[in-house]
Amino acid sequence: MPKSRWDDRAAAHLLNRAGFGGTLGEIAATKAKGLEAAVDEVIEAGANAANVPAPTWAHPGNIGAIRMEARAAKRNGDASKLREVRKMEGDELLDLRRWWLNRIATTSAPLLEKMTLFWHGHFATSVAKVKDGYWMWLQNDTLRRHALGNFVTLTKAMSRDPAMMIYLDLHQSRREHPNENWARELMELFTIGIGNYTEQDVRESARAFTGYRLDLATQRFWFAPNQHDAGPKKFLGRSGNFNGDDVIDILSKQSACAEFIGRKICRYFIEDEPSVPLVSLVAERIRAHNFEMKPLLREIFCSEEFYSERVMRTQIKSPTHFIVQTCKALECQLPAPHIAQNAMRQMGQILFAPPSVKGWDGGKSWISTSTLLFRNNFANYLINGDGILPEPIKRGRGDLGFRASGKTLAEEVHRLPADVTKIVSAEARSGGQKLIAELSLRILQKEPPAQDAAAFSKFLEGRNGNIDDSAIRGLIHLMMSTPLYQLA
Amino acid sequence: MSEMKTPPTLQTRRKFLRTSVLGAAATWTLPVFIEKTFFALNALAADAVTQTVSGKDGTILVILQLAGGNDGLNTVIPFADDNYHRVRPKLALPPEKILKLDSYVGLNPRLVGLKALHDSGELAIVQGVGYPNPNRSHFRSTEIWQTASDANQFSGEGWLGRYFDNCCGGADPTVGVSIGDQSPQAFSAKNPTGVTFSRPEQFRWKASTDADGKPLTDEETFYRQLIGAPEENAPTEGNSISSLPGKMHYDASTEDFLRRTALDAQISSDKILAIARKYKSNVLYPQGPLGGGFNLIARMIAGGLPTRVYYASQGGFDTHAGQIGAHDRLMSLVDGAISAFVADLKQQGNFQRVLLMTFSEFGRRVAENANAGTDHGAAAPMFLIGGGVKPGLFGKYPSLTDLDNGDLKFSTDFRSVYATVLDKWLRAPSQLVLGKKFSTLPIV
Repeated sequence: MPKSRWDDRAAAHLLNRAGFGGTLGEIAATKAKGLEAAVDEVIEAGANAANVPAPTWAHPGNIGAIRMEARAAKRNGDASKLREVRKMEGDELLDLRRWWLNRIATTSAPLLEKMTLFWHGHFATSVAKVKDGYWMWLQNDTLRRHALGNFVTLTKAMSRDPAMMIYLDLHQSRREHPNENWARELMELFTIGIGNYTEQDVRESARAFTGYRLDLATQRFWFAPNQHDAGPKKFLGRSGNFNGDDVIDILSKQSACAEFIGRKICRYFIEDEPSVPLVSLVAERIRAHNFEMKPLLREIFCSEEFYSERVMRTQIKSPTHFIVQTCKALECQLPAPHIAQNAMRQMGQILFAPPSVKGWDGGKSWISTSTLLFRNNFANYLINGDGILPEPIKRGRGDLGFRASGKTLAEEVHRLPADVTKIVSAEARSGGQKLIAELSLRILQKEPPAQDAAAFSKFLEGRNGNIDDSAIRGLIHLMMSTPLYQLA
Repeated sequence: MSEMKTPPTLQTRRKFLRTSVLGAAATWTLPVFIEKTFFALNALAADAVTQTVSGKDGTILVILQLAGGNDGLNTVIPFADDNYHRVRPKLALPPEKILKLDSYVGLNPRLVGLKALHDSGELAIVQGVGYPNPNRSHFRSTEIWQTASDANQFSGEGWLGRYFDNCCGGADPTVGVSIGDQSPQAFSAKNPTGVTFSRPEQFRWKASTDADGKPLTDEETFYRQLIGAPEENAPTEGNSISSLPGKMHYDASTEDFLRRTALDAQISSDKILAIARKYKSNVLYPQGPLGGGFNLIARMIAGGLPTRVYYASQGGFDTHAGQIGAHDRLMSLVDGAISAFVADLKQQGNFQRVLLMTFSEFGRRVAENANAGTDHGAAAPMFLIGGGVKPGLFGKYPSLTDLDNGDLKFSTDFRSVYATVLDKWLRAPSQLVLGKKFSTLPIV
């Protein structure tokens, strides 16, 4: 891309797509570095960032024994014991979501988290079936360790990942009657895509993955040779005594594999409906780099295509992106864990619980009448705090089905309005076009379309010169309710 | 926004917004902002052909998707066939427990409500429904059902979206309502129509301040959303599919799409909230999203929302392992929700004009696997329920020995069922909507 076109918009775009959006300060610093140095920093920042401490509870336990206990409690009608187990599971999951969202919002290596989220959607696994916080954390950690590394290595790691194995029934697959769930999705959703294999290939691949087991006392993977079908197999036109890793190697050598991954990378980083030539080009680069992600992403982030008008500000923000960027723009903390978890559910992206093994469709699928309304209303809460809530609730009265863990109702929902002094300069606080211009830059990252701009002016005029902090917050809420704000 | 004195019919609120809001209100609350800045889009809708029948007085279709591939063989069971017991040593249900419909087939023991509907002549079952060259991928097969395409054809638009485009031009956006957070691909259309919500109380904009610039306090319901209990432990256990809405396609630019969605939400939200507040049901629905969804649909019908198609979904049917317990629970859940819905509609006096149709992207393999589960299959039964159905068994039960790769062969194309519903129930030209003529069944 020509150096002359490296400007604030381009820098903001890089931070939007390679991360979850930058603050005004981050955008200025990124621009000052110049394109190549900026891209280098985005990519290399991940080097040490994988080694952040795990949540304190995230270690293996004897899950077999715990589950036996829970089953016994259920049988004996020991409701309090059962409640205790369920509460522990629920608390861990809530904490896991808090841990990851917080990490995404505060990390010095946003691309690492962005790619971890990409792989979470790709190798989609839900706690709804896995039902264990440690295993979900372990998968997240594995995804992160390989996030910017090699796709083939990552796929092999996923075939031995306990959460994935449970999710797709691989740990129960037996020699005499292999389970096809993992074998099918490995081809359809993880590597080559539908139309590139036969039902016979599904069956043969399922045979190759027999013998993968989980030890419930230590929560670890192990291989049971006597459950493995070591016999000859015919798979995608080749014959041999293939095992699971052989199957993954064969899949990665299919030309459809780089196309399939390339298309997904395009959709995630570039545009919703990438053209065939663009996908082919990216696929060719994937092959050239042997499925290594770092050099591929470096090329994408330096390309002219990436910064074209067709691409910039046309991607609908994911709910994760929406929350994180909104809090950044407002210079405020993330909402409390329960609040964040429920907001994510309303917007259609529950971390660690994707809707199916296909992950999130993304793009326009994020938006329905229901989720769009929620985005606007949730922004209102983030901007104005619990002041928008009725008095009795703010004081923590009344049972609204809230199950606080340690904290009271009022504490959990309590939130101060965004601090306008951190958001708007002293000169702009009296209102007028200066205020609109400053906020547009911060929130919309560009000038708003004429009709929206006219509405912002009218809104301020309607205050009859009374431009206080609440008026400014009202204007911010309007800006965050525009279509443009949904786009990154 | 103030309510109109006469109910909006055809000119709908899109046109109302275009003609009456401008120049009025001085307070720039968010709804006013949305209306004023987005109104330019309305010209197209308001000038289009008007809808002649609405769900306020005409017939209504309710669709229930069973996502993940429901095991048809353990839903409508050929108990008298020895092969059933032979290929399913662990999963076959004991004949004495099966709710017999005739000397050959019966319903899953958990489907007591459906059995009662059968006995009272309000349930039709189409057996062996599928399509040529069945696809065993959840996602592709869902797409085929949602778009009503051939197995080797790809269509972005959904079959209901094409119905909206061709037969409901200028209609209120609530002509199609889906319960949940994501629109089904079946609603995908050239002119996107249809709204999606799960809680009417949330389904409206909350302005920061009222007309006097004071903070609004009626935000309790939004707060409820913020703190509601997580639902991911709801009964989707034991499977890797909890919902399969399919992917939405639109030709319009992303920004236009966002404006249109905002407008549709704004047009519908007051009305939906008003109905939800006014109409309560005294029928007891089972707890959980499905029961709640059917309850909501019943209230919208009672309140006269002009909706012609409602859409709800239940996931969890991908029973590769340990099927018995999980499938039993799902059967109970579906049976309970449908029974409550039917009782509610009868109480309202609306059962005659509502048709409920179930579908799943495929049935499951005839032979069970080594994990006491079943893998992806092909043909399966569909249920049609309503005061207007001709009851009984339709189509032929597939042979359990003449199989296609271990799966049941279909005898009725699912598009014949769609054609029946379109031609005879919604009174819409099925050939135009489905792109081909399919024979219809004497169900309605």
